[in-house]
Amino acid sequence: MIEDFAYALAESRARELAVYLLGNVPGLPPITQSFHILGIACVTGSSIFLNLRILGIAVPSQNVSEMIGRLMPWTWWALLVNALTGSIFVIARPLRYYFNPVFAIKFSLLVPALVLAFVIHYLSRREPGYWEISQGRRLALGAIALVSLVLWVGVVLAGRWIAYSEYLFFPE
Amino acid sequence: MPFPEFWEWVQALPLSEYIGFTYWFPLLESIHVLAIGFVVGSILMVDLRLLGVAAVAYAASRVTRELVPWTWGAFVVAVITGTGMFMTRATAYVENPAFQMKLILLILACANMALFQFRTFRDVALWDVGTVPPPAARAAGAVSLALWAGVVLAGRWTGHII
Repeated sequence: MIEDFAYALAESRARELAVYLLGNVPGLPPITQSFHILGIACVTGSSIFLNLRILGIAVPSQNVSEMIGRLMPWTWWALLVNALTGSIFVIARPLRYYFNPVFAIKFSLLVPALVLAFVIHYLSRREPGYWEISQGRRLALGAIALVSLVLWVGVVLAGRWIAYSEYLFFPE
Repeated sequence: MPFPEFWEWVQALPLSEYIGFTYWFPLLESIHVLAIGFVVGSILMVDLRLLGVAAVAYAASRVTRELVPWTWGAFVVAVITGTGMFMTRATAYVENPAFQMKLILLILACANMALFQFRTFRDVALWDVGTVPPPAARAAGAVSLALWAGVVLAGRWTGHII
């Protein structure tokens, strides 16, 4: 299904437009990529630091429940920016990304990271202080934070490695 | 650019060639991006607190003291990984206008931080728990945001010119 979509995209007018814009608007590729990196910085400043706080590694004076409510919207808005800025490159070369194993790895890490971020945010919104009510929930949140942290770091590293997949999958 | 022989010598080092021709280049580059995420992500939280728009429930001094060490730690990682990439094509990078702009913006960002730390931050006790910090602190926060965004843009542009 995704394959059909990638091939359809490769034949589409949207692709022609993306290729035209990236090739003809001066500075568009580095400017778009910079917004993508700034989006990564916002996710780091929200979700990654929240995970570090939950694990007792950063910002000890800040309250976990308060941080969740304050920071998670930053994660969602930044991810929207990253989806938009990333899309133009995927639309311009859909098959390159579809057949790139590192792109698949990045999204295999991103999807569970999104699910865990949603679980943290949703349960805390539904019931204020949800994660701090019992020892069991605190431990569960700690486990989620540890896994999320690894996933987010993996997403960022894998994202940069998309351009270098031949180092990993086509050794000489 | 001055010292052309020096940059050629750097570029010809076995380490430079090793990084340039192996998986070390993308490895360093991916860690560089992660470090940038931490530098900008941590300083963003400090700057927004200084602007009085976020985390106002916490004292500005507390937010700063808990986050700036992360900024510096990540900055050191970014400098080390960045130097590793720079070495591989030192002669081209020193001539690269985007790279030159990046260094200028970095120096300005550090100067802004130093000015804030040693001037504005000294009387932090007077505005620590107030919601909106004084104009000098807000200016430091706004200037910092603009400069770091510029560093990211110039840094990413560097790779398109090489």
